Amino acid sequence: MAMNLLEISHMKKGFDGVSVLEDISLSVKEGEVVSIIGPSGSGKSTLLRCATMLETMDGGTLAYLGKNAAWEENGRCVYAGKAQLREIHRYFGLVFQNFNLFPHYSVLKNITEPVVLAGVSKKEAQERALRLLDQLGLADKKDAYPFQLSGGQSQRVSIARALALEPKILFFDEPTSALDPELTAEVLKVIRDLAQTHMTMIIVTHEMQFARELSDRVIFMENGFIRVEGTPEELFATNNARVRDFIGKFTV
Amino acid sequence: MSFGTMIEQLMEGMGVTAAIFVLTLLFSLPLGLGVSFLRMSRSRIVAFVSKIYISIMRGTPLMLQLICIYFAPYYVFGIRISSSYRFIAVIIGFSLNYAAYFAEIYRSGIESMPVGQYEAAKVLGYGKGQTFFRIILPQVIKRILPSVTNEVITLVKDTSLAFVIATAEMFTIAKQIAAKETNLVPLMVAGVFYYIFNLIVAWVMERMEKHYSYYRN
Repeated sequence: MAMNLLEISHMKKGFDGVSVLEDISLSVKEGEVVSIIGPSGSGKSTLLRCATMLETMDGGTLAYLGKNAAWEENGRCVYAGKAQLREIHRYFGLVFQNFNLFPHYSVLKNITEPVVLAGVSKKEAQERALRLLDQLGLADKKDAYPFQLSGGQSQRVSIARALALEPKILFFDEPTSALDPELTAEVLKVIRDLAQTHMTMIIVTHEMQFARELSDRVIFMENGFIRVEGTPEELFATNNARVRDFIGKFTV
Repeated sequence: MSFGTMIEQLMEGMGVTAAIFVLTLLFSLPLGLGVSFLRMSRSRIVAFVSKIYISIMRGTPLMLQLICIYFAPYYVFGIRISSSYRFIAVIIGFSLNYAAYFAEIYRSGIESMPVGQYEAAKVLGYGKGQTFFRIILPQVIKRILPSVTNEVITLVKDTSLAFVIATAEMFTIAKQIAAKETNLVPLMVAGVFYYIFNLIVAWVMERMEKHYSYYRN
């Protein structure tokens, strides 16, 4: 039986008194691909940022592979100790909307350095990086610098960089929003290929067609709540007027 | 005095000038980084105190600061000032002063870094120190190099202020010779020396900028 890689319950988050996540509960099993859709300001990105601990949550619990990263104690959210968090950080990777590659490093070093810092030998890190670059069609770019890459190539490098650390779960924060349609297609293909290998992924996206054909589960968020959740078939055939309206705007 | 002797004496002074220049950079560049951290500290008190420090260092004449540091041991602590302290006072004064300017340059560079670089590093498992020294600082150096060049060139000329506590650097010597011989030539020659010094500095800094031009932000 597949275990829950990620378990979020009653996650809450506000900024300066304005609540962004009201009450989010979500669990993700090994091998699942979950898409999160919803209008701007619905809290999708904040959810991802809280799950990856780029933001600290105000309430609720967050656990990876049964290990608690954060939980509530006397109405306050407390985080696990350094060692536990370090270990938990290894379970997930995150692909950013605007890549955030390190501009002063070559493509190869962007990928290998985090791996080496994680304690893997230089040789092994190099092999992993070259294998991934080859797999993502970037073998000839290994010595290039990020400024020499197209948006699509940059995003593929950043996916390779995340994969090289061999995460159990990979988050994507609107991975194609900074790309034109042609480049979007090449990045989506990579994510599609990853789904074939049963990589566990949580994808915040505005690509409805993509979410529909790729996901095991789609989540529709609005105003800090998960409004509707289900298989793509269920969600795209929903009677919920708000969801229909939203999907309609994006698929036309 | 023959032209040759004059040049010889000026060259000797140039050695002291170069020593002030090198030692000041050696101390003020790292010290400035430290001050910039304090300036950006989350503690309001620490940030405020370092802001005052920077404000005083930038807001009062370096010449006055040199005089204060030179005479402070005697007037504040009653310690007799030895002659070897002269040069040390110069180095302390210049380093403290330039650290303030460098701190603000570092700060502008560090604050201009996109937050995404920190976030990517964090998610990829870089520790705080690793993030700063491997990801942030190298990019900051590239960004601030033109401003640093300006300061370094100013420093070459500022070394002449050491004359105020009678340090035997080039300008002090040039002035002495000029007064003794009632002749402006030594000062002109000193000017030429400063200019050549700065040509070298500019060339070195240009090389450094070229070194970092292999990538773009």
